[in-house]
Amino acid sequence: MTAVQADGLALRYGRTTALEDVSFTLRTGVTGLLGPNGAGKTTLLRIIATALPADGGTLRVFGHDPSTSPGRLAVRRRLGYLPQDPGFHPSFTAFEFVDYVAILKELTHRATRHTEVARVLSAVGLDDRRRSRIRTLSGGMKQRLALAAALVGDPDLVILDEPTVGLDPEQRLRFRELIADLGERKTVLLSTHQTEDVMSLCQEVVVLDRGRVRFEGTPAELAGLAAGRVWTSAARQAGALASWRTGTGLHRHVGDPPAGATLVEPSIEDGYLTLVGTDTEASAVAGGTR
Amino acid sequence: MTWHLLDEDLRAYAARTLAAPGLWSTEAHLTACGECRERLAAAATADLRWAIDGGWARLDASLDAPRPGPVERLMITAGVPDHTARLLAATPALRLSWLVAIAVTAALTATIALFTDPVVFLAVAPLLPLVAVAMSFAPGIDPTYEIAVVAPIRSFRLLLLRCLAVLSATTALSAVASLFIYEYGLRATGWFLPSLALTMLSLLLSVRLGAGPAAVVVGVGWAAVVAATFGDRLVFTLAGQVGVVIVGGIAAVALARQRGTYDRHHVPHLSRRMS
Repeated sequence: MTAVQADGLALRYGRTTALEDVSFTLRTGVTGLLGPNGAGKTTLLRIIATALPADGGTLRVFGHDPSTSPGRLAVRRRLGYLPQDPGFHPSFTAFEFVDYVAILKELTHRATRHTEVARVLSAVGLDDRRRSRIRTLSGGMKQRLALAAALVGDPDLVILDEPTVGLDPEQRLRFRELIADLGERKTVLLSTHQTEDVMSLCQEVVVLDRGRVRFEGTPAELAGLAAGRVWTSAARQAGALASWRTGTGLHRHVGDPPAGATLVEPSIEDGYLTLVGTDTEASAVAGGTR
Repeated sequence: MTWHLLDEDLRAYAARTLAAPGLWSTEAHLTACGECRERLAAAATADLRWAIDGGWARLDASLDAPRPGPVERLMITAGVPDHTARLLAATPALRLSWLVAIAVTAALTATIALFTDPVVFLAVAPLLPLVAVAMSFAPGIDPTYEIAVVAPIRSFRLLLLRCLAVLSATTALSAVASLFIYEYGLRATGWFLPSLALTMLSLLLSVRLGAGPAAVVVGVGWAAVVAATFGDRLVFTLAGQVGVVIVGGIAAVALARQRGTYDRHHVPHLSRRMS
């Protein structure tokens, strides 16, 4: 089922182009949004989340047009949104904060709302901290609390802006479990700098660079962009896009391999680097993507 | 018995939602058919178990829910629904620190007015709700601003709720402070109508200018009017107060007419931050 259909979205801030001709489709499942800092990821997420209007193009979320008032309301009723810098009322307890967000989402019946708040707090592993004041929570706990607030009300479209920032490895694994489970029933769009998150979680990935979509496909297809362009050698080699010494003692290189090089299987990071690594490289590859 | 009741009829009967005449024929059949009675018992047990489980879950959640804070409890005792009380408890300008700042300002101004001119208090008191309302909606002050913007709750309703709460709080504080200048009689209450009118004007302008700039524009305009009529205290005469009511009324009507625009998705301060 198509949840989000974007065609030619554009947004300018004065003379700066934030987004240009951005088109993609989101369906049930988890989609990762990758891109360098300043690529327009947060701006795009805000447009889909109805926090910002686009200047141009068309956007449909579950068939609704967010540029109209009824369409916006219909989208907001099915939306869960975790902003990049989620704010909290520090005097609230964890429970009170999620309860407050549930009320903003029109869950006014007390018993139903409290059951739902307890459910999402339990889902993010904050069961035992529900009575804690937010100012006493660690950074990772606050991030999980913000995630609970995004998930309250069982939204059909969940937009997460860098949700794994501040999470330790175990919390990140728990997060992946939670989001993977969610992705079986819902549409999840998450922006991240963690390529491991994309590889382990996402069925689809969109790469945004300088306001344009450079790639839309599966993580394996993104990795495939670097096929034949990743090799290892005993010594460092000049001329590669990236070159580093790995834990095995061998050097790994991404770029144009010399003749006879020992080619290895590319990772999603290699594909990403090939795509946005340099202007000329990126343009060449972007022409070949769908 | 050669026929049996439909599952949906049995479920409806168990849930006591089956209406006549289906109800009569179902009951007549049940008296004669042991198999359907057994199916009814199973259906009723499943429904009952579901109802009991749901009830326990709700009871658990209610028992586990932390007790609301004192401000919320006060509002709930006063008859405010619990969900509205929680929305109001999140109003930045209703935090104790802000309320103390407003109380101190009102008391200081009233003290100065006592020794100088009552106009000092009458001119400053209407600015207090203006500042408090701006603090309630300014994106930089409400930490959950972005979450609230994309929530389905009607922004205009939230705006009015918070505005009413803030106005009530500042009005109560200013009323207490105006006791300092009680010797001026009824004139000591001359701040009240301007405080309502200025709040309405700033809400009206906030759609186009944003909460902070709107409060500044209205505040400066108010200061200019008071300064220009300082000689004859025009604003605080009967005629002046009638004028204030007219301006406030027009602003209130205009505000009601453009309530839909509060649900647009413009978040001006977000536009400046890109990533």
